[in-house]
Amino acid sequence: MKMKKFIAVLSIASMMAVAAVGCGSKDGEDAGTDKGSEGSWDAASAISVVSREEGSGTRGAFTELFGVVDEDDNDMTTLDAQTTNNTSVMMTTVSENEYAIGYISLGSLDESLVKAVKIDGAEATAENIENGSYKVSRPFNVAMKPDLDNPVATDFMAFIMSTEGQEVVSGEGYIPVAEVEAYAGTAPEGSCVVGGSSSVSPLMEKLIEAYKEVNPNASIELQTTDSTTGMTSAIEGSYDIGMASRELKDEEAAELEGTVIATDGIAVIVNKDNPTDDLSVDQVKSIYVGDVTTWDAV
Amino acid sequence: MSNKTTIGDKLRTYLKHPGSFLVMLLVMLAAIITFVVLIFLIAYILINGVPHIKPSLFALEYTSENASVVPALVNTIIMTFLSLLIAVPFGIFSAIFLVEYAGRGNKFVEVIRLTTETLSGIPSIVYGLFGMLFFVNTLDWGFSLLAGAFTMAIMILPLIMRTTEEALKAVPDSYREGSFGLGAGKLRTVFRIVLPSAIPGVLAGVILAIGRIVGETAALMYTSGTVAQIPDSIMGSGRTLALHMYNLSSEGLYMDQAYATAVILLILVVGINTLSSVIARKLTKA
Amino acid sequence: MKSKAWTEKFMQGVFFVAACASVLAVALICVFLFANGIPAMKEIGFIKFLTGDVWRPSSEQFGILSMIVGSLYVTAGAIIFGVPIGILTSVFMAMYCPKRIYKPLKAATELLAGIPSVIYGFFGLVVVVPLVRDFGNVLYRAGIVEKAGDGNSILTASLILGIMILPTIIGTTESAMRAVPSHYYQGSLALGATKERSIFRVIIPAAKSGVVAGIVLGIGRAIGETMAVIMIAGNQPRITGSILQGIRTLTGNIVIEMGYATGLHREALIATGVVLFVFILIINFSVALLKRGADHE
Repeated sequence: MKMKKFIAVLSIASMMAVAAVGCGSKDGEDAGTDKGSEGSWDAASAISVVSREEGSGTRGAFTELFGVVDEDDNDMTTLDAQTTNNTSVMMTTVSENEYAIGYISLGSLDESLVKAVKIDGAEATAENIENGSYKVSRPFNVAMKPDLDNPVATDFMAFIMSTEGQEVVSGEGYIPVAEVEAYAGTAPEGSCVVGGSSSVSPLMEKLIEAYKEVNPNASIELQTTDSTTGMTSAIEGSYDIGMASRELKDEEAAELEGTVIATDGIAVIVNKDNPTDDLSVDQVKSIYVGDVTTWDAV
Repeated sequence: MSNKTTIGDKLRTYLKHPGSFLVMLLVMLAAIITFVVLIFLIAYILINGVPHIKPSLFALEYTSENASVVPALVNTIIMTFLSLLIAVPFGIFSAIFLVEYAGRGNKFVEVIRLTTETLSGIPSIVYGLFGMLFFVNTLDWGFSLLAGAFTMAIMILPLIMRTTEEALKAVPDSYREGSFGLGAGKLRTVFRIVLPSAIPGVLAGVILAIGRIVGETAALMYTSGTVAQIPDSIMGSGRTLALHMYNLSSEGLYMDQAYATAVILLILVVGINTLSSVIARKLTKA
Repeated sequence: MKSKAWTEKFMQGVFFVAACASVLAVALICVFLFANGIPAMKEIGFIKFLTGDVWRPSSEQFGILSMIVGSLYVTAGAIIFGVPIGILTSVFMAMYCPKRIYKPLKAATELLAGIPSVIYGFFGLVVVVPLVRDFGNVLYRAGIVEKAGDGNSILTASLILGIMILPTIIGTTESAMRAVPSHYYQGSLALGATKERSIFRVIIPAAKSGVVAGIVLGIGRAIGETMAVIMIAGNQPRITGSILQGIRTLTGNIVIEMGYATGLHREALIATGVVLFVFILIINFSVALLKRGADHE
């Protein structure tokens, strides 16, 4: 009896030892391959498809625009796709794995880590989204109750939808809303709570800082959660203004008044060692549906 | 029992008992694996974080430019303090009840033990959901440090109870008998004799608990909220360091600052651990 | 004299009330979770919810079988890696460690407990995932496995979770071993047993309840861990037979999709939390039963 236990422990420990040694030696290999990794590109390798979580604004826009849906608009992303709810995990995964493909908000794209591919020949830039040649984009929404009685919230909304506010939007790499007028607010005193989508949050942070310069009397609290919490909390009243990186659902739109404050592009990203520069909408679709599983078959 | 066993003596024993020798090797191997992994992890954090620690990181106010950690640091300390304030008395008192007062085989004791073990097994995300449904919505505290602290207190309660219980049990019965023999009452015995001898064990639990509070993200995300400022009162919302780090890293815009924050978090944990061991030493001496 | 008796009674009441706090907490958590999760389960159908292996919320298909299997896989993996190493390390800490290096080592294990899970996640993503990917490729070329996998896998998650539960196991096991009266150990040595034999046949059996408690706590942490796992497990909601393939856990399912879920989808996620909770209950009950069996022996 004791012997059996002992052997079990021993075998596990020796497995660990082998694993540890294996890891050590692979460390060395890695260092070697990193330098000459262009030569190691093997187009026959399986594609690692990385996707966002079901229900995310980014994923919703992506599947809709690339047609990764069936006749009834059901999401058909392959079940073999990795899922993450985090932009930086998406970028890190793609930058670490030569054969990965993913998609992220254009505002978060870091070109030193990953490469954004052209879609149907159009580069993922703010200009191309504005002139319509790059079609993969989604709205940033904010919503508040129509009968909300908070002068700071109303004034802050007016600021976002002014020339000054939209300058901040374009300065951060997002696409501003057309036709706005200069800010002519009253700079009221008081406080308000803004909260919701983590995708909108970085932009909102900049907007709040810019607003504080024109109205130092106001204090604005920013809660970074997610689109749904943003909308439900705005309905319940714990947020004055809710943020969502997707369209408002019907039941939310019944209680809230939504405003598009900016448009954000979605970039399709691959590893920097991937020779692919240009993909068509159909190619992206077939990768994400799971029809194509290796890079040489694209 | 001589302490002067030479290496030669040891080797001779091991030659006679090769099984023991193997076991000893396994123990050493396991310890080496643990500490190599540990050193690797810490080195990884330091290498990625230390170069990005800049004075601007310690500005008093958080802005999107400096990604300052000071508000989050203060919030973490407040959160830890509040949670411990709620959980430690409850934890110690219930452990005292279980060990010193409740009789053996008491049904109620079994219920408590079962619920404590259940509590310690509940995933933090479930605590987060519960905290949001109960403290934030039902009690209408909103996203606040207090809601976060109560959620964390429930989370660390079993940890403190368990360690205190073990520590109390380890106090030899002769201490209690001696105290009773000298005419001390039960309460006096518990507070003057038993509890002081159990302090190091209790502190071990508190240290583990602090580690959990400081490192917690999932449960606090839905309870204390994510405002990057020091709130005016404990009814205000504020994010702790770990949550701050999670938020910095989640959109991929502030990775450098996120690693720097991680270094500060590490330093904080080391600081807390050192402080509590100093206190433990003081207490046991007195 | 009378007031003293009164104080005794009063304090006993205080201790009792404090002890009730944990019962109250569990009751509250039960009520709130079940009230929010059961209706959704009813709407989907209990059997369909628990045994369905298709999770496509956008087309109203809610089956969490793959997530249940996923959680079981990673937890088992974490136990295989974490428990033997954890227990052996605590033996080292309690019995072998030279005094001079004990303090830094002890501080280091405590530090391990304080590192936030997000860091473990990034560490896993940047360091362990590529290693596992290479490992998979080696096995693939050798013809041992059919698919190489991309590194975000059950194996990766198990390794990281194994590391994450180490401090819990080491902390509890070590203090349990130290609590064993030293004359047990001295007696065993005096009878001529070797140091190792004394440790493994005398001290560890004597410290059994503490060791088991540590392991149960560790299992709890492994099942419940969220932030690190979602970064490295791949999160594919499907059942797989290979440890080099990705998997989604119950906790991962909640955190990943809670953010954007509404209506039935949101309730289905809370119901996932209920299932998780029931799992924990089952584990604790079986441990309690096991313990009772052992006590009666």
